[in-house]
Amino acid sequence: MTTRAEFLKRLESWGVKLAKDVLELKEPVMEIPARTLSNTIWDEKARMLKLGPEKMHRRFLDMKEARRFMQTVLMLRLIVEAIREDVYPTIRDLYYNGKHTISFKDPLSRVHRENTWDEQSESNAVIEDIEVATNVLREEMGVSADVKGKIVGPIVVRSQGYELDASKFGETALSLPVNVDGLEIVKVEAAYVLVVEKDAIFQRLVREKYWSQENAILVTAKGMPDRATRRFVRRLNEEYKLPVYVLTDGDPYGWYIYSVYKSGSIKLSYESERLATPDAKFLGLTATDIDAYKISDNYVIAANDRDVKRAQELLRYPWFQKPEWTREVNLFLKKKKKVEIEALSTHGLKFLHDYLKDKIRGKKFID
Amino acid sequence: MAEWFRRNRELAGFHNPTRALYQTVRELVENSLDATETYGILPTIYLRINIEDEQKSWVSVYAEDNGIGIPGAEIPNVFGRVFYSSKYKIKQHRGVFGLGLKMVVLYAQSTTNKPVYVRSAALKSDKIYEYQIMIDTNSNSPIILDRKEYPNKYRWHGTAVKVYLEGSWLAAKKRIEDYLKRTAIIAPYAEIAFKGPDMELWLKRRTTKLPPAPKEGLPHPKSVDVDTLKQMVAESRGMTLLEFLMESFDAVGEGTAKVFLEWAGFNPNMKVTAMTPEEMVKLVEKMKQYGGWRRPRSEWLSPVGAELLEIGAKAILGAEAVFAVTRKPESYGGHPFIVETAVAWGGQIPPSDKPVLLRYANKIPLLYDEGADVARKVVDEFNWQNYKVKFPASLAVIIHVCSTKIPYASAGKEAIAEVPEIEKEMRLALRDAAKKLRLYLSRKEKEMEMFNRYVSLAKYVDEIAHNLAITSRLDKDKLAKHLHKLIEMKIGLTVEELVKHTLSLSAAPQEAEEATAQ
Repeated sequence: MTTRAEFLKRLESWGVKLAKDVLELKEPVMEIPARTLSNTIWDEKARMLKLGPEKMHRRFLDMKEARRFMQTVLMLRLIVEAIREDVYPTIRDLYYNGKHTISFKDPLSRVHRENTWDEQSESNAVIEDIEVATNVLREEMGVSADVKGKIVGPIVVRSQGYELDASKFGETALSLPVNVDGLEIVKVEAAYVLVVEKDAIFQRLVREKYWSQENAILVTAKGMPDRATRRFVRRLNEEYKLPVYVLTDGDPYGWYIYSVYKSGSIKLSYESERLATPDAKFLGLTATDIDAYKISDNYVIAANDRDVKRAQELLRYPWFQKPEWTREVNLFLKKKKKVEIEALSTHGLKFLHDYLKDKIRGKKFID
Repeated sequence: MAEWFRRNRELAGFHNPTRALYQTVRELVENSLDATETYGILPTIYLRINIEDEQKSWVSVYAEDNGIGIPGAEIPNVFGRVFYSSKYKIKQHRGVFGLGLKMVVLYAQSTTNKPVYVRSAALKSDKIYEYQIMIDTNSNSPIILDRKEYPNKYRWHGTAVKVYLEGSWLAAKKRIEDYLKRTAIIAPYAEIAFKGPDMELWLKRRTTKLPPAPKEGLPHPKSVDVDTLKQMVAESRGMTLLEFLMESFDAVGEGTAKVFLEWAGFNPNMKVTAMTPEEMVKLVEKMKQYGGWRRPRSEWLSPVGAELLEIGAKAILGAEAVFAVTRKPESYGGHPFIVETAVAWGGQIPPSDKPVLLRYANKIPLLYDEGADVARKVVDEFNWQNYKVKFPASLAVIIHVCSTKIPYASAGKEAIAEVPEIEKEMRLALRDAAKKLRLYLSRKEKEMEMFNRYVSLAKYVDEIAHNLAITSRLDKDKLAKHLHKLIEMKIGLTVEELVKHTLSLSAAPQEAEEATAQ
């Protein structure tokens, strides 16, 4: 394991600066790069999202910001202590360790009680703030998160000295570890990688041995992918030059998931270089597929207001402004219809396999 | 007579031992207050309740005051003769006929067969008189079991009464405490020392200011009922009906009396004592119906006054702020009345979902039947939100109606009826008082804003200092101190100044804006 000494230093000095400002009676202000849409830059050349130069200024003396300031300072201490004590907490551990009730008795003797944080989303958010502010990645801090990714296929990895062959898991699957970079890839004998949005579809393809017929590595992150899964997909593409194909439901949510694998996410745009797979390709389902594969009306769902809103947002993202995507999203907005992958069963349960083979062999994908 | 008593027991409030004990305390205390404050004396009242026989539920109630006392010869009549009264002159008074005291004696003797003990000395009397009295229910006259008199060496004046009755102390305890405290609110000039079997209460005198005493007056013809008329007639032997009207009623001159009697169909020259009971009933009805009387006068009413209400409410309720209003006299059905209200906020008043309501009629606290009282309706329908009151709130409302004739909702006389004129006055009084409250709360809000800004930052200081200290390895206390200083710099006030600001709210602003409101 790499030592975290240099990262510890960076975190500590960030804290020391704030403390010194306080002792000099200067208002302590945290400069944190803004992780907002307006500060997300689409790098055409690199084909991925990058973080812009805008900075947020989180001040203690601002009533609206004071709580967040307190939370950030608290989280900073938790992480610093973890590194000093040589432990490797998960983000959930940090959430629980830091959660407690602040009790304050004011000069009028009234008591005010407040929790440092209530939801894990709050503590997660300040972890990300610290990452971008100090330029230390979560992985470098040694902080890990719940891992969602699973794989099955012709790949052998080594973890903690054990060799694991992902083709010998029967109907089960190999779970990705928290630190994917520390995973040694021993052997890869696949033709391509198929990333599947939904766990149910992943399991079907495993049981039906699609992967072994096609010599493919199946990957799923059960919805919106976590960092480990994204990193792993990128590694397969980058280190082994494997084509990466993505299969999601035919709705704006699924299409955004594809873009996260491919170009990065707004929240973690600072991680795109490590996590994005610009060469990934989208198989489906597309809006055009509904007619192209004659999916019957019984399997088609009406789009609701949220779907429509999301689609309109996608149109505005620079990385969706390619002719094929513009066409697809506009078609969706016109027809207001969405489909799930399961809809392919309209032509029988085996049709999913035919669909995939047709798309891949016929190169009928979108970039 | 015994039947009459039995019939009217419930009316007078003696229908069970719990209520009877409460009612006894009420009657005695109210009499004491009448005998003192009405005559410009600051009331000092001693009240003792002892358990005399636990098995039989017998208790004794002793009440002593420093009032004008009762002339020795009158004592047997006052305590022993029903319908004897000196109260039909129309001052606004607490008791209605002085009948209550008789009820106490009758109830007491009917449950324990013991006499009432009375000791009294009138103002400037050189003798003190002691009696033991019972009522002969057949002849409606006093039975004097004992009589003593002795020199009044120290010129004491006042009345002390002791009765033995069947009463439930445990059940009545809470109400009695409530009643005494509420009495102290409306009579903060009184000193009441109470000692019960397991409870002592000392309600101190809070002010030496007395409410203005109601003036003596003759009744308005519209306001008498048959019983009162009977009494008045009994006291007017020898007069003709015409003379009787002119002498006994307010603002009835010869002309008015003649015109009325002709309209009503009575012979002005008949002897008043010759009227049959049916004629008396008819006379009362006609007097009520007649539209030509002059408007009733209101100097006979004795409202407590805003100042006393505020003193009483603050002292007993521990309110942070009290706003009282005394309305101008109005009348309903020929009876003058005045509504007063006090709105008490904050301090030690416990927060609740509805305002606590304290009702008074002619300075008597009304503890029962709140649901039937028009005051509860008015308070509940009042739009408190308009006046910056958000529930749950620490709010108590005092509503006091004084009148020569209080319109009770039922024979129990614990709730005021829904008379439109009174209801309207209550609403207007509340509105006036609530306006003052709103001004106060707005001011408070503003002052509190700054304080709350301070709190919203200061509450995090300890947490931040603790965490920064660990991360930076710098001293926590120093960091905390500096953070506090930063906050003070940002707000522009030190914490001391902030606190002074907020606490000083209760004092100054109210006087200032009362002056400008004039």
